[in-house]
Amino acid sequence: MLSNWPTPEALEWTSQDERSMIKDLAVMIAGKAGDGVLFTGNVLAKVLKRHGWEIVTSRDFPSNIRGESTCYTVRASLDKIYGLSDQVNILLAFDCEAILAHLPEIAANGIVFCDGQGMTTPPPEQTLGRTFHRFSLRALAREQFGQEIFKNVIALGALSYVLDLDASLLDGIISEMFLKRKGEEVVRKNVQAARFGYDKAREITAETERHPLAKKADDDQVLISGNEAIGLGALAAGCRYFAAYPICPATEIWQWLVHYLPGFGGAVVQTEDELAALNMTLGASFAGARAMTSTSGPGASLMMEAFSLAGMAEIPAVIAHVQRMGPATGMPTKSQQGDVLQWIFGSHGEFPRIVLAPGTVGECFELTVRAFNLADKYQCPVIILTELDMGQNFRTTRAFDFSGVRIERGKLLSTGELLGTADFKRYEITADGISPRSLPSWKNGVHLAESLEHDEKGYRDEDPLNRRRMMEKRMRKLDQASPDFCAPQVWGCQKAEVGFIGFGSTLGAILEAVEQLRAKSVPSRFLQLRTLWPFPAAEVRAFLAESRDIFVVEHNFSGELATLIKSQVSPCAELNNILNYSTLPFTPREIVEPVLRSRR
Amino acid sequence: MKVKASYHRLDPTWCNGCGLFGVFDALKRAAVALAIEPEELVIVTGIGCHGRLNNYFRAYGFHGLHGRTMPVATGIKLVNPGLQVVAVSGDGDAYSIGLGHFLHALRKNVGLTYIVVDNRIYALTQGQASPTTDFGMVTMSTPVGSKDYPIDGPSLALAAGGTFIARGFSGEVAHLASLIERGMKHDGFALIDVLSPCVTHNKLNSYDWYKKHILHVEEVPGYSPRAKAKAWEALNDPEKIAVGLIYEEDKPSFEELVLPDREKPIASLDLKVDVPRLGKIMDGFR
Repeated sequence: MLSNWPTPEALEWTSQDERSMIKDLAVMIAGKAGDGVLFTGNVLAKVLKRHGWEIVTSRDFPSNIRGESTCYTVRASLDKIYGLSDQVNILLAFDCEAILAHLPEIAANGIVFCDGQGMTTPPPEQTLGRTFHRFSLRALAREQFGQEIFKNVIALGALSYVLDLDASLLDGIISEMFLKRKGEEVVRKNVQAARFGYDKAREITAETERHPLAKKADDDQVLISGNEAIGLGALAAGCRYFAAYPICPATEIWQWLVHYLPGFGGAVVQTEDELAALNMTLGASFAGARAMTSTSGPGASLMMEAFSLAGMAEIPAVIAHVQRMGPATGMPTKSQQGDVLQWIFGSHGEFPRIVLAPGTVGECFELTVRAFNLADKYQCPVIILTELDMGQNFRTTRAFDFSGVRIERGKLLSTGELLGTADFKRYEITADGISPRSLPSWKNGVHLAESLEHDEKGYRDEDPLNRRRMMEKRMRKLDQASPDFCAPQVWGCQKAEVGFIGFGSTLGAILEAVEQLRAKSVPSRFLQLRTLWPFPAAEVRAFLAESRDIFVVEHNFSGELATLIKSQVSPCAELNNILNYSTLPFTPREIVEPVLRSRR
Repeated sequence: MKVKASYHRLDPTWCNGCGLFGVFDALKRAAVALAIEPEELVIVTGIGCHGRLNNYFRAYGFHGLHGRTMPVATGIKLVNPGLQVVAVSGDGDAYSIGLGHFLHALRKNVGLTYIVVDNRIYALTQGQASPTTDFGMVTMSTPVGSKDYPIDGPSLALAAGGTFIARGFSGEVAHLASLIERGMKHDGFALIDVLSPCVTHNKLNSYDWYKKHILHVEEVPGYSPRAKAKAWEALNDPEKIAVGLIYEEDKPSFEELVLPDREKPIASLDLKVDVPRLGKIMDGFR
């Protein structure tokens, strides 16, 4: 199953210099919320994907519907990529403010289009080879097509020219988007606007400014967000009940599933809060469904209570947590990795739990499938921990392999097996700690799912010896579980003094950093943790032993992963933290620089 | 043929005279009347003295967290609508910590029978004021008398669009059993609020006190549970506490509205991986 991404050995790193031969390029669309930045970026990403390129997108947007600055970056590469680079080659801005904000990121030979009244070319000492064009998108859209909204498609047409894209690809996507919903006339007008943008760009730019991209065979690629991949993973894994409360940035999982679950015989329920969302998931799971909920920061805090119930009553549950910036309401549209320890050590009492952390969209799918199997097998809550960056941004990946999906329901008995059981005990004390399950309505399987300490049949029991035996039974469920988990993945050079450790969506920036360091003759390796709990102590210990300088890369303030490593590996090597608690995801440079500094 | 013993697991150990004995008996009588198989009945309880019910009653059970019976019961009912799902709460469980869940399950009209055993006190924690405790009553948490005005579950239910609102008295077991039975047959959310004395911690609202204060709506000339205005009037009577079936209306249940097919419960779906169908969905991402 876990073979969708290339092995580290198969990755042929390209140097930065080769990259400038347009094997790699980033386009940024910037403007105000409500300008259509998201639409424009999404379409551009799709066009480039169909051109055969690997894609990573990144959005920076406010927690607001209209009026504040927003931008959307599409990075495209002929090589496999997982994150953004440090540079933007083309900036298309719907206002001048965006130029000032993003000028430092624009590559030396970059090109800037701006629709703005105050647009003037910066002084030569600031342009450094970049070219600037005033591009009156709004005015042109109004003049030529009667409505400002056409500016987005005009912009896309212009980008098609600059990137020398096959114009029919854009036409095709326009048709897919508008034909069903809005009809032929709208398609015709939009195609016209795209052509107009294409011609206009030819008029205002010099031939030398073009960044032509080669077309490549598509190679069974899809362009998908982490949230959608989790939704698809859940659907494939047989999830048929989904309960959640709206919260940014997790809602897309639900918004995606709501279109498919009923068709597969399932149901999606909007609850009054996250307390209800997880309790309802547990009720559904107790009654036999593969059930799931999704949430983020504040919702996860509300779920802590029922999280403990799932542990005590041994009810399988899958919880997708897409992290955003906290604490409190924090910054709902910004990514962060600040809720790791909450799931590992959180809630009242002690109980087994599993925390998975996908680092690619392919892993979002695969680990979600696995989460359902683990939840059923170990009869405990399983967390799929991602971040906004992974959840809401789009990345290319090999189309998912559904034929590899197995549905394993663990010790859920069949009705026949249950009838043959003399004295059914739902919480039977077994060698592996896992007990047989029956479902309501099944003959001979009557039991109580109990949040109080209970005996083997589920009934309240305060006997001290029973308490000890039950604690030991529950806590040993994961003792032998490690072969079922996704082992950490080692990326980069075979031997290296510099070792990175991280998880989740920082993977992209860390791999870019590994590559940039290699170009500077500093070999490095990256240990990507994909299961955070139970903690893969043996693998981490081995990696620490093989590396001289360890850098734990995390998108949080206090280094939660480093704290976790220190608590689980003893004695522990010295860990250097590379932390980012800004509103933006890591850039490769932010990882490379501290490493180089440490070696001076 | 079912008898009360079909549902009896253990003799309860509630305080002698506790109203919960009446509820326990009434629930068994209702199950007998409807001849429900113990396997087809799921009892979901919250936290409080009522929560021990699961230990005594033979049926599938879920004893969850304080105040969270409604979402758990909703999850069970939607996944297997053929089950008879009965949730039991106390006044603290239903009208305090779980009030939000109660109103939302009710407004969704999920096909649950919700028995709220209201003793107007927190008994398991030794006698603190509850949301239904009388104004001015001295309790462990209100030594100079409660300063909170009590709320009334059935009135809230009527305002929030309840489709079956009843109140019984644990001192009148046969009457209570008939209400529970009708609630179980109702296709939608059925609230049965139960006036239930706590003989240990609430010396005010005793059996005798209730007998003096209740009024059977079925004995009120011209009363119809289909008339909302009359229901409102009965619930707002300043002298008497209305008992009986107070209000009833027909509205599609949540299961009927959201489940693709009630005859094909989610709990027994074949989860076989449909590779071509999933592949087609995947194609949307190309």
